[in-house]
Amino acid sequence: MATLRRLQEAPRHLLVCEKSNFGHDKSRHKHLVETHYHNYRVSFLIPECGLLSKELKSLVMDIGPYYSVKNLPLHELITHEFINTFVKKGSFSALTYNTSIDEDNTVALLPNGKLILSLDKDTYEETGLQGRPSRYSGRKSMKFVISIDLMDLSLNLDSKKYRRISWSFKEKKPLKFDFLLAWHHTGTEESTMMSYFSKYQIQEHQPKVALSTVRELQCPVLRSSGLAGEPEEACSALEFFDWLGAVFCSADLNNEPYNFISTYCCPQPSAMVAQAFLCTITGFILPEKIHVLLEQLCHYFDEPKLAPWVTLTVQGFADSPVAWREKEHGFHKGEATSVRTGPTTVHHQ
Amino acid sequence: MPATAYERVVYKSPSEYHYMKVCLEFQEHGVGLNVAQFKQLLVSALRDLFGEVGAALPVDVLTYDEKTLSAILRICSSGLVKLWSSLTLFGAYKSKKCAFRVIQVSPFLLALSGNSREQVLD
Repeated sequence: MATLRRLQEAPRHLLVCEKSNFGHDKSRHKHLVETHYHNYRVSFLIPECGLLSKELKSLVMDIGPYYSVKNLPLHELITHEFINTFVKKGSFSALTYNTSIDEDNTVALLPNGKLILSLDKDTYEETGLQGRPSRYSGRKSMKFVISIDLMDLSLNLDSKKYRRISWSFKEKKPLKFDFLLAWHHTGTEESTMMSYFSKYQIQEHQPKVALSTVRELQCPVLRSSGLAGEPEEACSALEFFDWLGAVFCSADLNNEPYNFISTYCCPQPSAMVAQAFLCTITGFILPEKIHVLLEQLCHYFDEPKLAPWVTLTVQGFADSPVAWREKEHGFHKGEATSVRTGPTTVHHQ
Repeated sequence: MPATAYERVVYKSPSEYHYMKVCLEFQEHGVGLNVAQFKQLLVSALRDLFGEVGAALPVDVLTYDEKTLSAILRICSSGLVKLWSSLTLFGAYKSKKCAFRVIQVSPFLLALSGNSREQVLD
């Protein structure tokens, strides 16, 4: 019986939904965006819209470049010069490229100056540095997390702690990775990144932008009065969230219940919308840019529009060692996706 | 119009469905399957392992790409383990060796709209 019961079990998951307005004190939309450091994909959907406004289009096309480097040794990220040039002068973000968090060693540098290393047991022991077992490695710890505060280190580069980390990265266990980098700063030193990392085959990349208009889209009816929806009046946040997934996956929304291939259809009640604008940006996107995009989307309703809502979806990196802020992120425990619609906010952990 | 009040709800395992992004790989090249054949293949995989009860599990093929033989499937959460294990153990179609690759699994379809592991740098 226990075996039969286990066959029907699915992994547990959480869906956190928040409903608010952007002017509310408790609304955490800004905090959620600012603390989600590694963003792979940002998409938005505007119903009853055929063409993007000039402001939104220029914002989308000018999200800003990100960079890739090859075989960057970790000791380069703890040098005095690096910390002063980049970490202290803006928000510098880095994430190892093409490393799987469940199998490989992964490293991330957060904009607050924390260097997070997620290492397998052997590598961890070889570094000789202090860390803690990963929350997601089960009873037998196979993965360990080391957290190094670069801001704290930079206060005293002669400290025992700094000397040990430096020795570990340079001599004991020199680790090298391919990284994705991004830097938000207010200065004008555009070429600093390219010249500083010139030894490591640095390349600049522009995020990929995909724009499309969908005709005759069946959309769920929403009411700002409640997240749970009302039977025959409004759809729930969960139904809307699923529907949004179907739209961005280009699934058919109009199947009959007896269809052999798929029975998925738009949740009811729904309304047909003549056209909707979809935009997807993929790359390594800074939270500051997402915040600007969110603000611009809020301003969409400054003038009267047919659209009852817009959505903004942010998808993180599956292999980032952190989810929000410095909370550990496990591959098998789910991703971080955030959806915002005016005025409803839905996010999932 | 009064501003919306703040409300926060945490739902524990609310999704009655799970979604899987899968890809079917054949040992030899040039094997084509239309969406109906693909769906039939899923049903046979379930039947092989779990009999008629398994074959009766409602599986929706939400998207299908004939060129790459990849699809997004929807299954009720209680049937996820049965479907996943059926796909894992499915080894041949019409005497041609093949294997299912499970690329992503999530209780939320939106998570399958992008896969950071597929990121390619120019």
